[in-house]
Amino acid sequence: MSILTVEHISKNFGALQAVDNVSFEISQGDIVGFLGKNGAGKTTLMRMITAFLAPSSGRIFIDGDDITKHSLTIRQKIGYLPENPPLYTNMTVLQYVKFAAEIKGVAPKKQAVQLAKVLEDCQLEQVKHKTISTLSKGYKQRVGIAQAIIHEPKLLILDEPTSGLDPMQVQQVLALINNQKEQRTVLLSTHTLPEIEKIAQRILMIKSGQLIIDQSLKTLLKGSINSTDENTAKNENSQVQALTLEQIFFNHHQGSAPVSSKTPIQTPSQNVSNY
Amino acid sequence: MNKIIALTKKELHSYFSSPVAYIILIACLLLFNVLFFMLIEQNREVSLRDIFQVMEFMFIFIIPLLTMKLFAEEKANGTMEFLLTAPLTPSMIVLGKYFSMLIFYSLLISITGIYYFIVEYYGNPDPYSILSGYVGIWLEGALFIAIGLLTSSWTRNQIIAAMTSYLILFSLYFSISFTKYFTGFAENFLIQLSTRSHLENFAMGIITASDVIYYLAGIVLCLVLTGLSINHRLWQ
Repeated sequence: MSILTVEHISKNFGALQAVDNVSFEISQGDIVGFLGKNGAGKTTLMRMITAFLAPSSGRIFIDGDDITKHSLTIRQKIGYLPENPPLYTNMTVLQYVKFAAEIKGVAPKKQAVQLAKVLEDCQLEQVKHKTISTLSKGYKQRVGIAQAIIHEPKLLILDEPTSGLDPMQVQQVLALINNQKEQRTVLLSTHTLPEIEKIAQRILMIKSGQLIIDQSLKTLLKGSINSTDENTAKNENSQVQALTLEQIFFNHHQGSAPVSSKTPIQTPSQNVSNY
Repeated sequence: MNKIIALTKKELHSYFSSPVAYIILIACLLLFNVLFFMLIEQNREVSLRDIFQVMEFMFIFIIPLLTMKLFAEEKANGTMEFLLTAPLTPSMIVLGKYFSMLIFYSLLISITGIYYFIVEYYGNPDPYSILSGYVGIWLEGALFIAIGLLTSSWTRNQIIAAMTSYLILFSLYFSISFTKYFTGFAENFLIQLSTRSHLENFAMGIITASDVIYYLAGIVLCLVLTGLSINHRLWQ
C-alpha cells in the first residue's frame, strides 16, 4: 500500500522552477534514497511533502490524505528532520524530546514509555540530562532523529541526516535509520552515495527539479553491473557497486538530458570518460 | 490546550534559562522603585497614578526587548521549521508564545504591587483606583506584547523586530500629541488611537467599556495578524 503519493508536483519561486512536474509513489516499509546535487530541488520537495511549503501545482497524498486539505492530520503522520537539526540548544535532551512529544500530541500517559523507548533507540540515555549545546554533532543529529520519531510517525523524512558527521557517527546514524524500517517508511536524502546503498531499497534522483531516476537499487545496480567486466564485479563486488552508483549519479549530473525511469542507465564503462 | 501549555512552558524555560530575563526583571524593578520614591517625594500623593504613567512610558522601551526574539530567533535558528511541520496550528503557536510573555509581564508588574502597601502605610489610598490602574497597565502591556509578537513574526532579525515595534508603539503613544494640528474626526481619531488617553482613565479609577474594548480589540487584531503572517510564510 502506498504511504506517499506525489502527483505532478511543481514549485516555482518567482521565475525559478525549483521542482518541475515530479510524480512518484512510496510503499509502506520502504527506505528510499533521494539523490541530487545541491540546488536540485530535494529540500524543496521534502518541504512540500512535510506541508511546510505549498506546491505551485500538483497534489501530494500521505496515507490517502491530501496534504492541502488535511495538513494537520498529515503532520501527525510525518516525522521530519531538516538538514540542520532544529534544536533548542538551551534545553537538555530529555526536556527537548519531551517538548517534541507534547507538541506532537503523544498522550500524557504514554509519554514516559515513549520517551524511554526513543532515548534507548537513539542511544541517548547517557546524555539525556546534558544540555544540547554541549553535545557533539553526532549526538545532536540523533536528538534530531529522536524528535522526528517520538510520535511514531508512519513516514520519516530525513534531509541529509549524515551531513558533517565523522565516519563513526555516520555508521551509528545509518544503523539507527536502518532500524526504523521495521516500523515506518523512510525517505532520506544524502550526497554520500555508498551510505545510501547500505540501507536504501529504492533510489529517486532529481536534477534541476526534475525526477530523472526512479528505480529499485537492485535494478539500478544490476543494469550497470551487467555491462561491466564480470570478473571485476566478482572480485571487487562491493567496491564496484559503490562506484557504479557514484558513476550513475555523476553521469546524470554532467549535463546529460533528464531521462524517465524507463530510460536505460548508462554503464560505468560508458561513463568513465566523465571522470 | 496541552500543546499551547507545552509551548508556553518552553518559552518560559527559554527566558529563565538565560540571564536576560533576570536582568530585565531586576533593571525594571530598580528603575520603577527609584521613580516611585521620587514621585512620592515630589507629589506627596497617596496614589499610584503617576507611577502608572511612568510605567507605561518605560514599557514602550522594555517590551520590544522581550518580544523581539519570539519568532525572529526561531527563524534564525531554523526551529521555526520544526514548529511548522509539527501538528500545530498557527494559532496554537501564537497563543503559546503570547501567554508565556504575558506570564512574564504579569510577574513583573505583580512585584510592583508592593507600592500599594507603601502608600497605604503613609495614608488612605483608594484601593479601587489603584486596582483599576493595574488593570489598565496590564491591558496596555498585553497590547504591547501582541504588537511585539506581530513584528517578530515579520523578520528573522531581532533588531529589525524591535525597531518596528518601537515605531508602532511610539506612534500609538504620541498620536495624541498631534491633535493640535487637526480638528473634528481626525482629532478624535488621534485621541482614540493613543494609548495615553485610554490608560489615563484607568489610572484615575475609571474603567469604561470603550477603553477595555480598545485594548482587547488591539490584542485580538495583532494576534490574528500574527497567525496570518505565520500562515502566509507556511504556504508561500
